[in-house]
Amino acid sequence: MAKTIMIIDDSASLRQVVSITLTGAGYEVLEACDGRDALAKLTGQKIHLMISDVNMPNMDGISFLKAVRELPAYKFTPIIMLTTEAGEEMKKAGQAAGAKAWVVKPFKPELLLTAVSKLILP
Amino acid sequence: MDLDQAKQTFIIEAHELLDAMEESLLAPESSEAVNAMFRAVHTIKGSAGLFGLDPIVRFAHTVESVMDRVRAGSLAFDPDLVNLILACHDHLAQQISELQEGDDAGSPETIAEGDALLARLLPYLETVPRPAAPPTTLVTHESHPHEEEDDQPCWHISIRFGPDILRQGMDPLSFLRYLQTLGSITHLTPLLDRLPAGPDFDPERCYLGLEIDLDTKVERQVIEDVFEFVREDSQIRIIPPRSKVEEYIQLIRELPEGDHYLGEILVKGKCLTPKDLEEALGTQRQEAFEDGTVQGRMLGTIVIQDQAVPPAVVAAALDKQKKAKEKTGHEVKVVKVQAEKLDRLVDLVGELVIAGATANTLAAQGTDSRVLEATAILGKLVEEIRDNALSLRMVQIGETFSRFRRIVRDVGQELGKPIELEIRGAETELDKSIVEKLSDPLMHVVRNSIDHGIESQEVRRARGKPATGSLSLNAFHESGSIVIEVADDGGGLNKQRILAKAVERGLVQDPSSLTDQDITNLIFEPGFSTADAVSNLSGRGVGMDVVKRNIDELRGTIEVETYEGAGTTLRFRLPLTLAIIDGFRVGVEDTFYVIPLDMVIECLDLGPFLESEQNHLINLRGEVLPFLRLREVFETRGAVPARERVVVVQFGELRAGIVVDRLMGEFQTVIKPLGELFRSVKGLGGSTILGSGEVALILDVPQLIQLAVTRKHALQPRLSTVS
Amino acid sequence: MFQITRIKDNGHEILQLSGDLTIYSAAEARHELETHLSQHPTLVLDLSEIDELDTSGVQVLLWLKREAAARVGALSLVRHSPAVVETFDLLHVTGIFGDPILIGPA
Repeated sequence: MAKTIMIIDDSASLRQVVSITLTGAGYEVLEACDGRDALAKLTGQKIHLMISDVNMPNMDGISFLKAVRELPAYKFTPIIMLTTEAGEEMKKAGQAAGAKAWVVKPFKPELLLTAVSKLILP
Repeated sequence: MDLDQAKQTFIIEAHELLDAMEESLLAPESSEAVNAMFRAVHTIKGSAGLFGLDPIVRFAHTVESVMDRVRAGSLAFDPDLVNLILACHDHLAQQISELQEGDDAGSPETIAEGDALLARLLPYLETVPRPAAPPTTLVTHESHPHEEEDDQPCWHISIRFGPDILRQGMDPLSFLRYLQTLGSITHLTPLLDRLPAGPDFDPERCYLGLEIDLDTKVERQVIEDVFEFVREDSQIRIIPPRSKVEEYIQLIRELPEGDHYLGEILVKGKCLTPKDLEEALGTQRQEAFEDGTVQGRMLGTIVIQDQAVPPAVVAAALDKQKKAKEKTGHEVKVVKVQAEKLDRLVDLVGELVIAGATANTLAAQGTDSRVLEATAILGKLVEEIRDNALSLRMVQIGETFSRFRRIVRDVGQELGKPIELEIRGAETELDKSIVEKLSDPLMHVVRNSIDHGIESQEVRRARGKPATGSLSLNAFHESGSIVIEVADDGGGLNKQRILAKAVERGLVQDPSSLTDQDITNLIFEPGFSTADAVSNLSGRGVGMDVVKRNIDELRGTIEVETYEGAGTTLRFRLPLTLAIIDGFRVGVEDTFYVIPLDMVIECLDLGPFLESEQNHLINLRGEVLPFLRLREVFETRGAVPARERVVVVQFGELRAGIVVDRLMGEFQTVIKPLGELFRSVKGLGGSTILGSGEVALILDVPQLIQLAVTRKHALQPRLSTVS
Repeated sequence: MFQITRIKDNGHEILQLSGDLTIYSAAEARHELETHLSQHPTLVLDLSEIDELDTSGVQVLLWLKREAAARVGALSLVRHSPAVVETFDLLHVTGIFGDPILIGPA
């Protein structure tokens, strides 16, 4: 069975490219446009990995990370956070919240695929 | 979908973001506007990187850096800078337009203009700008032909994983699987000496260490990067093929395990010969003796400093977002459909789901794998059709919210109370049938807030509040429900007055037994009204009890949060749709019940988790929860089975266990209204027909949780098993 | 979902583990298995229904093996499922457990 990844980012085009890349590599991809949307879509189904932007409207990535760790079904789901060089402070806050996997934006699709493969293979 | 389509999405998205940015630039005072601008540039940069649009990335990066300084407050957003950012905005728009025309690189004039703008941005940057970050690219690695015939060209990787990596979702197994894609693992020794015995063992902690020999052609950096996500907490040491003996010996010295044990591992991996080892360990003992220590140093371990960084909360620029969304709306083609047609479709889909479940059940009883496969495909399609049909009925709540702008202004004027209405979460979607039934209760609550909540201007001034009152409507999704909040900054509910009135009306016998929340909830009792003077707006005989009934009918709940002198928030929590739910089926004796799946947290055996039978409490890994037995709630006859199961459910912030005989798995179901017979039974929310044709009862989880929490087990109607 | 079921095989009592023995269920598994161990220090675990086994699951099994030995009992693992075999192979822990793995017809 294909592994399921959820991408959480407010940019539709970024989600599309990530989705094309990961689907092409054999993963199943779910999309959400921000933390709140993602939480609404997390209804107990098995998610093997989440990729979340940090800077998003409604619910930013750090709040999302904290909220998702409270859900028993996703307490231990690996999460890759997307950040920019300008986001050092965010990164610190995120690390304090337990986010260890970071990918710096902008990135090429294949770089993200490599990062994902280290945590789960399709 | 392909990349070209995604690029089109990017172009549309970039235009929208730039429109939003322009709007913010024209009213740049608020921090929200600055945030919106930052995010616009940030998002464009991030997405442009994915398409390899380096000129856009480069330009946006510098603008973003400047905006970041404005956002952080270290740079004043004076008119000069606003004008410059406006020019940058126009330049980005020009870049996107050229991209739209198929010119990825950009025209020479545009490039020159960009350079000029970058030069003007320079003084606003903190230091010399970081070199415009090109998108990080994966380095491709060429093979090294000269290493070919060597029979031991192995890298040695020594790793002691950090204790928390498992909790963070990182499994050493994944890294091993990934390493296998880079080359072949010729030797691997797991080290589990750190695994403690007895009660000290923490099953969620990682105690694993690995000594790995990897035969690969990739470069050191690539191997190092395999562990990039665990690098900070783990001890990692990577030794290239054919390194000097000293390097291996150093490794042995620095690791906590016994020297000879590690030595043997290295010998086995052909990194060292037995002779090397013997000689080296001899020298080492000598040295250790001389300087008096063999204590290992930590290897390249980076200690994370837990600095107290306040979580930089980025306020959402929702109104701007909404506008951007509305603009997209113009380009989308819309077909109007009569609402009844849509309802009929959803009804039919409901029947289809049941028929599908029946077919599935029958197919599973047979042995023909082709039939099974066909029904599985059918099932997936039915599910998609269901989601699509339901999404047709989903509407944004924004329109309902917007209607209140006029009402708030008019009513406020009539009462001489200037009030500002703030709308958030307008794009939140919910089922049309719910929206329709929501306008009345919402209207009532909003009017109540204006009428009784928000004080007159004089009172507000006397209390040191701004003369203009504030009312906000907010909607968002939360764990399978939609939450709608109506909040005012008025006087809050006066508990003494509520209590006095309730006593006067005979609604309360023993006031001393009530908690604050109980008192607040009295406003939902039939025949309760606190208005000192009945205005011509509210007080038309419709009380909060009607609001509560309306919400009950929608399978929702109401919470009140009130602070005397500071305001009141009413929170409606509603299901996303009324028609179809994903359910979890359980059984007691020969009756089936369905629990909405989004409320199920986990299922356990009752035995090991039982805390107190007498008080009906379970202990869920330290959390003590109340439970109730369905067989007691519905007074089912029959003997309690030896092995009882408990389903842990959650609604809002409350959790409880529901004890049943059997767990029967997930399935999808259409909610049918309850017949007259059951309507008055507490704990039931509806019924459904199973694939087998049998009837199952859908549990009203919020009610059951309430029941478990308050321990009021006396249920009115007598009910034995349901046939 | 992780579950432990008691089954009888030729009159011997065996505990069958089924579902995912992963970080999500490790705490529960440790707790329940320890309860069983306190009653029967010699345990046989049937792993044929394990769908997923990760590092935390391996740690729980190894801890249990050591606990059993400390109580002068023993832990044997039988009927390793493909998922168990894959994890054991990847981590090279088959030797640590020392149980024979039968590769029979699927």
